[in-house]
Amino acid sequence: MIRILDITLKDLTQLMRDAKTFMFLLIMPILFTLLFGYASGAFSSNKSDSRLPVGYLNEDNRWVAQSLHDILADSETIRLVEYSSATTSDLEALVTDGKLAAAIIVPRGYGQAMLKNKTAHLIVIADTGSTAWITIQAETLTAVSRLDGALRTATIADDMLGDRAPFRYAFDQTLAAWQDPPIKVVETTSSVVPKVTGSGMSLAHTSPGMMLQFSIAGLLTAAQVIVVERKSRTLQRLLTTSVRRIHILLGHYLAIFTLIFSQFMILIAFGQLALKVEYMRAPGATLLVAFSAALCISAMGLLIGIIAKSEEQAVILSIVPMFLFSGLGGAWVPLEVTGETFQLIGHLTPVAWAMDGFKNVIVRGFGLDSVLIPAAALMAYAILFFTLAAWRLNVSEER
Amino acid sequence: MNNSPAIEVLNLHRSFGGNKAVQGVSFEVKQGEIFSLLGPNGAGKTTTISMLSCLLRPDEGDARVMGHSIRSDQMGVKSALGVVPQEIALYEDLTARENLNFWGKMYGLRGSALKIRVDEVLEIIGLSDRARERVGKYSGGMKRRVNIGVALLHKPKVIYMDEPTVGIDPQSRRNILDSVIALKNQGMTVLYTTHYMEESQEISDHIAIMDHGKVIASGTHEELVKLIGGQARIELTLNTNAENVIAEWKTVEGVDSVTAEEEKISALVNDSNLVLPRLFESATRHSARITSVEIREPNLESVFLHLTGRALRD
Ligand SMILES: Nc1ncnc2c1ncn2[C@@H]1O[C@H](COP(=O)(O)OP(=O)(O)O)[C@@H](O)[C@H]1O
Ligand SMILES: [Mg+2]
Repeated sequence: MIRILDITLKDLTQLMRDAKTFMFLLIMPILFTLLFGYASGAFSSNKSDSRLPVGYLNEDNRWVAQSLHDILADSETIRLVEYSSATTSDLEALVTDGKLAAAIIVPRGYGQAMLKNKTAHLIVIADTGSTAWITIQAETLTAVSRLDGALRTATIADDMLGDRAPFRYAFDQTLAAWQDPPIKVVETTSSVVPKVTGSGMSLAHTSPGMMLQFSIAGLLTAAQVIVVERKSRTLQRLLTTSVRRIHILLGHYLAIFTLIFSQFMILIAFGQLALKVEYMRAPGATLLVAFSAALCISAMGLLIGIIAKSEEQAVILSIVPMFLFSGLGGAWVPLEVTGETFQLIGHLTPVAWAMDGFKNVIVRGFGLDSVLIPAAALMAYAILFFTLAAWRLNVSEER
Repeated sequence: MNNSPAIEVLNLHRSFGGNKAVQGVSFEVKQGEIFSLLGPNGAGKTTTISMLSCLLRPDEGDARVMGHSIRSDQMGVKSALGVVPQEIALYEDLTARENLNFWGKMYGLRGSALKIRVDEVLEIIGLSDRARERVGKYSGGMKRRVNIGVALLHKPKVIYMDEPTVGIDPQSRRNILDSVIALKNQGMTVLYTTHYMEESQEISDHIAIMDHGKVIASGTHEELVKLIGGQARIELTLNTNAENVIAEWKTVEGVDSVTAEEEKISALVNDSNLVLPRLFESATRHSARITSVEIREPNLESVFLHLTGRALRD
């Protein structure tokens, strides 16, 4: 068993001596992420462009409504597009056309109701199936509860003078608030909402996209170690020792995995720290996606190494899937903006699942639950590739 | 165990498609001896060695290495074995020491035992002072020596060497032949393949001559030479390409066989003193001139020629 690690260490020593390894795994993805980032304006100083445009119609005139407006206007994720006079159906049309990601209407009497502890509802028009919805919902709820919290504190302080049971009072109120969310959603559908998110999320897209693309490109050096081993007859020599075949495979697999997983860790840290891509919003989820994606891509590398008859073939067998999987799997253009058929085809590639996983965290703000299916799909691919590699080795080296 | 053979080969067969690379090879190697398989390229030596090291499955037949069957106890065979492959099988981007360390671990050595043994082997192959260089930068002869060194690490009972001296300088070749003899003196059993008859003649206790996938003769050097009745071999060249001269020589008294390869003619004869004047006489009769003559006392080369009608050399 320990020989697995000996083989892994040997492979890593060889890979570390090859400058190409670093070229493909670290330098290229960073360069390309920055390049695409600039091209799509992610670094432009006009920050409002990257926020989701949300229509805002204020029909109330109380100061409370003005405070809500101020809180929302300060948001880093949504940009208020204010309308002084518009009807609900006007706004609905704008959302449906994708001109707005959503619209918020502050109805008449909203401020009054808030002040009097009556149930107050904001009206929000949005496509609840869109990726932008989560962000807008969270932002609106935060704003409302901040406002509500402030009002309650004030009310409690007021009531304390006459009523000596403020705790019970606050408790009931909080409970009531949770049972009845303070916003009311008007459902609409929007075919173009993802486009709205697209431009603003370019780094959140290219960072995992390029990372995945170049991890596959990196296989051309990683797989090379295995190809050279077979060509130089060292593999045959290994087979004359009492090392088991499965241990040889696992040793190589672990080496490629270590390489790809380290690449992911470095690029995720780079994405988080330098590009402010929110990988750390759900560290466990990010880690799980990175882990299963690395398992999958390194199994692919193992398979390439065992199939390829020459170094040239290994290059082709790495580069072709790189383009195919990155293109189809949405590493370049987000699959969300493509049609249903394309998304379906895209999800035949492991890259699509990895992109889903990463973007569920960094774009959609979901947690661990949201990456379980992508991770399972990636691991299934890993098992498939590894099994094919083992089968292929048994065919080519007959015993 | 002590008197049982180190390697017992029983009727091995192996084909590649329609090409019968090995067809019914049997031989026995005693413990502690050097046994060579001598034969031209394509005779089936490497295929035989590959089957004996469990890299190829025999189509038919079996073999035992230190009592372990290559069919049913591969791990047993592998742990008794050190294999020096025909092609250099090393990691060129690692240094000699790194290679030996890695292979030592593959053979199950660890820690200080590994370190001590790697130093010893570097000493044996004479590369202690250059152990920190990458193997890729070595000369062919140095690579060959590391290639052998790897197989010595775990002090195997049996070692296979498949044409270890191909394509190297005379000095490295000398070094290798000496180390093979040294291994024998340490009690190892060596199965050695070559197409150089001088090598097998010099180092072997027993020799099996292979051709077209079969062992066509085996025994000690003396036994093999006796097969041709102590015949000498005469090599001549003629000034013309005279088929009729050669045809006549085949009928000359005392001539066993005549073969012609390009301008070089070889004749196996019983007594060169008696036969040579007859050959000159015959050449004169056909107005041809003998332009060179060389007499070789009986050796494995002539045994091969006698058995196959072809020269051993390419
Ligand atoms: N892997 C293989 N596939 C097909 N033919 C092979 C293979 N290995 C050897 N042969 C053929 O088998 C015959 C014997 O080869 P080999 O055992 O290498 O001979 P030697 O080692 O004596 O030179 C040759 O005709 C060779 O072409
Ligand atoms: Mg050979």
